[in-house]
Amino acid sequence: MMARCGPLSLLLVCLLPAFGAPAIESVEHGLWSLLPVAVLAAVAVRAVGITLRRMALGLVAAGSIAVSTWLYGGHDLDTAVGASLRIIYLIAPGAIASTYLEPSSLADHLAQRLRLPPRVVVAASAALQRLDEVGEQWRQIGRARRARGVGAEGGPVRRVRVGATMAVALLVSTMRLSGRMSVAMDARGFARAQRRTWAEPAPWRPADSVAALAGVALAVVPWLLR
Amino acid sequence: MLRDLDLSIAPGERVLLAGPSGAGKSTLLRAIAGVLLTADVGDLAGEVRVDGADPHEHPGRVALLLQDPTASLVAERIGRDVAFGLENLRLPREQIWPQVAEALTAVGLPYPLDHRTHALSGGETQRLALAGALAMRPGVLLLDEPTSMLDPGLAAEVRAAVADVVRRRGSTLVVVEHRMEGWVDLVDRVVVLDEAGAVVADGPPDRVLAEHRDALLAQGVWVPGAGDPKPADIDHALVGPYQEAAGTLVEATEIVLRHTWRTHTGERRITVALDGVCERLDAGRILAVTGASGAGKSTLVSVLGGLARPTSGAVHAGPLGSDRPLWKWRSSALARRLAWVPQQPEHAIVARTVLDEVLTAARATDRESWARRRADALLQAVGVAHLAAANPYQVSGGEQRRIMLAAALAHGPQVLLLDEPTVGQDRTTWSLVAGLAAAARDAGVAVGMATHDLLAVDTVGDRHTALSHGRAR
Repeated sequence: MMARCGPLSLLLVCLLPAFGAPAIESVEHGLWSLLPVAVLAAVAVRAVGITLRRMALGLVAAGSIAVSTWLYGGHDLDTAVGASLRIIYLIAPGAIASTYLEPSSLADHLAQRLRLPPRVVVAASAALQRLDEVGEQWRQIGRARRARGVGAEGGPVRRVRVGATMAVALLVSTMRLSGRMSVAMDARGFARAQRRTWAEPAPWRPADSVAALAGVALAVVPWLLR
Repeated sequence: MLRDLDLSIAPGERVLLAGPSGAGKSTLLRAIAGVLLTADVGDLAGEVRVDGADPHEHPGRVALLLQDPTASLVAERIGRDVAFGLENLRLPREQIWPQVAEALTAVGLPYPLDHRTHALSGGETQRLALAGALAMRPGVLLLDEPTSMLDPGLAAEVRAAVADVVRRRGSTLVVVEHRMEGWVDLVDRVVVLDEAGAVVADGPPDRVLAEHRDALLAQGVWVPGAGDPKPADIDHALVGPYQEAAGTLVEATEIVLRHTWRTHTGERRITVALDGVCERLDAGRILAVTGASGAGKSTLVSVLGGLARPTSGAVHAGPLGSDRPLWKWRSSALARRLAWVPQQPEHAIVARTVLDEVLTAARATDRESWARRRADALLQAVGVAHLAAANPYQVSGGEQRRIMLAAALAHGPQVLLLDEPTVGQDRTTWSLVAGLAAAARDAGVAVGMATHDLLAVDTVGDRHTALSHGRAR
């Protein structure tokens, strides 16, 4: 189902829960509200591992909010867990839907449907599909440091310091990569492409309408359940 | 970079541009393509005319192919990638796809339009970049070391695609390449630049190669028929280990390494990099690991260096080593034992000056005063003594490679690991790399290198393991 969706309706599924999440106040209310999210997960999760990893930071936030609400909110367990369910409600749909986004098609839709500036959109999508490479560069930088006796290990202070210098090295090498990319892209006429055509259309299909409705539902369901 | 250069190239002419590193060959190609100021800064005087017009005015007339095959990748699927230039030329959609199909056929890529660009080999990626250029129907084709990062089989593939296209379309061709073999038969004119970027020779290939052979060799150009270069002569005292060791220094048994990863869309991919490999590194011997790209040779060398953790199997460093697997060793303990130079030496840079770079591992292993005694001579031997105070990020790629080799050896490791140490290097740097490896070996260091350079294997290799799909053949 989601595989047939275009990127714009997927973005709605990612973003609209933000309007519903503030309504969640208690555990019971939160669990009822999360029911449609669970249904979404059941039909649409294509990779459990990566979905959980995308949620990881949000889950940490949810946990720390639960703890701090409990500590400073009069030790009320219901409010504390409710607050963390609010965060989960906010991030889970995005973690699921974002795995279906493809950079090229996102660029097509942003430029053709939303009329965003084509050069910016295309450059961003070209950069997005090279993200894997940045990960590989990071690994090589880490290996080189380890082999030279200055690897990221030991206490947290040293790890952070080494991590920071690795980030500088990564920045330099990605700058070089983007320099090479922009030469190659300009050589293919990109420098003058303030206006350009698009090899593929950006259709809005019935599946997109269904996904958009699901997004709207995620924005209103918690309010209706109050 | 370039100074007072005058050059005219007639339509349909096929030119090979040669000259030492830093002569400005790439700069010249970028000027002709009209992309000189995209990623470089500097003062620009003079003009470039293509068919009597500024190349900026007619995007698509001149196509430029770069050394790094992935530089021009802009999309996840091959059809869309080739279409990129045509979209920029504002071609209507119905005209785009026939030209895309035509270009893919011209370079011999047999895959469907929705084939993933990341699933292509290096040679195929370079042919895809060529297709992306050809789709725009350029009159002029500029190739900037298009095959220097590819192994010989893939390089021949790309050359054949270029030859075919140029013959059928009658395009004008300008190629920059250190390795002239294979290209000289394809061109009808050779232009040689000197260090200052001025033309020193210009004429038919046979005549230029005959008259300027020695000058070209001195510049580091791989002149066809000149015989193989010899490894440079390096003093063993500069590269020997801090503490001598004999016998097998690293032993890996039944190594399996599986990568499980996901693309940004969450697709699960498992690649088997190594599949049951046993290998060892012996003091005073050079192990060469070869194989096509993706065969696992770089991964094996990383595993032998304790830099990658295998999924299963054992890696131990004897006879001084403990039972602790090498990938669990602390960074400083590892550095005392070994050194590793990545394929892109830039990734290893940690210091602000070249001299500090060379002493980095020595400081981490408490050998600074020992290493200082030979650091200057080592920099001298690799030809970068004048750069001792320079910032390692601001020197050329060839110089970075030399500096990182010196940095790997200065603190006297017993094991030296090299990842593609000769790829894309000119003849002079090649001799130096081979010379350092041979000298280290002769001084008792165990050397392991991943390479697709068969000349290096034949010249300095003692043992040779060929990998295919993660298995030793």
